[in-house]
Amino acid sequence: MHRRLASALSLVALACALGGPSHAADPSAAIVSKPCAGCHGIDGASKGDAPIIAGLSAPYLASTMRAYKNEQRYATIMNRIAKGYDDAQLDAMAGYFSSQSWPNTKQDIDAGQATKGQALHASKGCLGCHGPQGVSMMPTAPRLAGQYAGFLEQQMKDYRDPGKPIPPAAMVMRSMLSGLNDADIAALAAFYASQNP
Amino acid sequence: MSMNRRSFLQLAAGSAALSVCGFPSLVSAGDKVSIVVIGGGYGGATAARYLLDYLPGASVTLVEKNKDYYSCPFSNEVLGGEKSMDDIKFGYDGLAAKGVKVVIDEVTGVDMDGKKVSTANSGKIPYDYLVVSPGISFRDNIEGYDAEVFPHAWKAGPQTVLLRKKLEAMEDGGVVMLAAPPNPFRCPPGPYERAAQIAHYLKHHKPKSKLIIMDSKDKFSKQGLFMEGYKKHYDGIVEWRSAANDGKVLAVNADSGELVTEFDEHKPAVANVIPAQKAGVLASSLGLTDDSGWCPVDQRTFESSVHSDVYVIGDACIAGAMPKSGYSANSQGKVCAAAIAAKVKGYEMPNPSYLNTCYSLITPEHGISVAAVYRLQDGTIAGVKGAGGLSPLNASDETRKAEAMYARSWFRNITTDLFG
Repeated sequence: MHRRLASALSLVALACALGGPSHAADPSAAIVSKPCAGCHGIDGASKGDAPIIAGLSAPYLASTMRAYKNEQRYATIMNRIAKGYDDAQLDAMAGYFSSQSWPNTKQDIDAGQATKGQALHASKGCLGCHGPQGVSMMPTAPRLAGQYAGFLEQQMKDYRDPGKPIPPAAMVMRSMLSGLNDADIAALAAFYASQNP
Repeated sequence: MSMNRRSFLQLAAGSAALSVCGFPSLVSAGDKVSIVVIGGGYGGATAARYLLDYLPGASVTLVEKNKDYYSCPFSNEVLGGEKSMDDIKFGYDGLAAKGVKVVIDEVTGVDMDGKKVSTANSGKIPYDYLVVSPGISFRDNIEGYDAEVFPHAWKAGPQTVLLRKKLEAMEDGGVVMLAAPPNPFRCPPGPYERAAQIAHYLKHHKPKSKLIIMDSKDKFSKQGLFMEGYKKHYDGIVEWRSAANDGKVLAVNADSGELVTEFDEHKPAVANVIPAQKAGVLASSLGLTDDSGWCPVDQRTFESSVHSDVYVIGDACIAGAMPKSGYSANSQGKVCAAAIAAKVKGYEMPNPSYLNTCYSLITPEHGISVAAVYRLQDGTIAGVKGAGGLSPLNASDETRKAEAMYARSWFRNITTDLFG
């Protein structure tokens, strides 16, 4: 297939992925997204500790995968995997996973830890972007409520670490987390993981 | 009545909304087509599930010999003592609940012209499309080989139990030898993860013992990362002997328990000998293999190059740059299901995308990985340039621990994808 024709077709696919009523029904979005289930669960509904990506906003997913691809966000493996996809595929995946439903999770969380985390969540101003219970109304701030504690804890440590790359849009997270120790971060992760609004 | 998202989708599915985009819906009822999947492992279980996802009206029958499935991924952790056989055991109730007709029976033959699968006890099962995911079988490259004396444990199940029992029965101070196979074989990092897992057991329970990897090769998957991990955790316990260093086992003696190499003979306390491999026996008996011993396929769809309307996925097929792994088989099962759905519904299949990640655990807190994204290039599955690759060398303990966490997460998620 000619490259120009191929890219024209993928643009059509992208237009459909972003504008169509159902990303799940678009074979090209499905075929590129279904393999992610190995790590992220069926249609992004991870059983943990890899993060749930089902139902996150398309802009957040698209920008996150681009950040991984461009080594702007630290990862153990997603930096290597995101480089395998072009922008049209990343957008198709963002559309596909954003159209899935967030699965409710029930994690084994220490109640005392969660209470401590809730206090930090309020006192440190996390709710400004992530909502009172960890469900943001802004498409650029991801849902934290019910996300896996292991992932959240690791992410917050990565964001706090000045030696690790962080997307420019998330730089605020580095300053938010810089005053927190590992125990604080574990408590915050426990709070978000325990929420199921 | 307020219109919720689902009813909107139902309306849209029947309207012109989708045809504007040129793609018919993958989801519609009444696809009166019969598909039989032979083999309920990582490839076959995936194909059965996704065929029903893509063709909800289809009759999908999964024929599998064993009622219980034991996963090869994480069977090394059973040998290391961190997992039990129950942890790697799965059944087919989840697939049956989704509508897959599960037939636990042995396939005795396939009439390719009449399109019928013959079984030992369940009669003949007609099909329009046949998916075969037969896994691997062993070659006779090791003279005198006896799987009871020198368990391969390369198909999880009784062999895993046998090897574990031998390790448990061994006296402290005994030497374990692990004979690694030549390429290509199932799970390229598998023998080296196994060495680490057995060493983990030895270190904590038989500290005077050691393990020697007797290799048919001079290099292996994730070598730098494994050697780094062995040195960090199992210095003086694990030794790797390359083929060039007389590591290649040529013959074994079941009476004496000896392993024979070109220049030497060894008598380990426990020997785990993994022979060279080829496609599962069923593949060759159905005439789906070529001279290589593996099954040539159209790598866009996994349709056999030998028989039309027959598809081969998983370790048995020749899939370009993809390794023979559980994740590869899972990814291939999805592409194959999409290809069959496209054929049934009469539209051109979109460009396939394939993915693989292989995690290995050196200790419960030290995980490493290799990953790749693939696409079709000139008819062959090729890794996307600049993508994928290995975990970095000299990574922090925190990174290794995170990868170990994601390795266990992978197992939870992929087995849910397979078995519900």
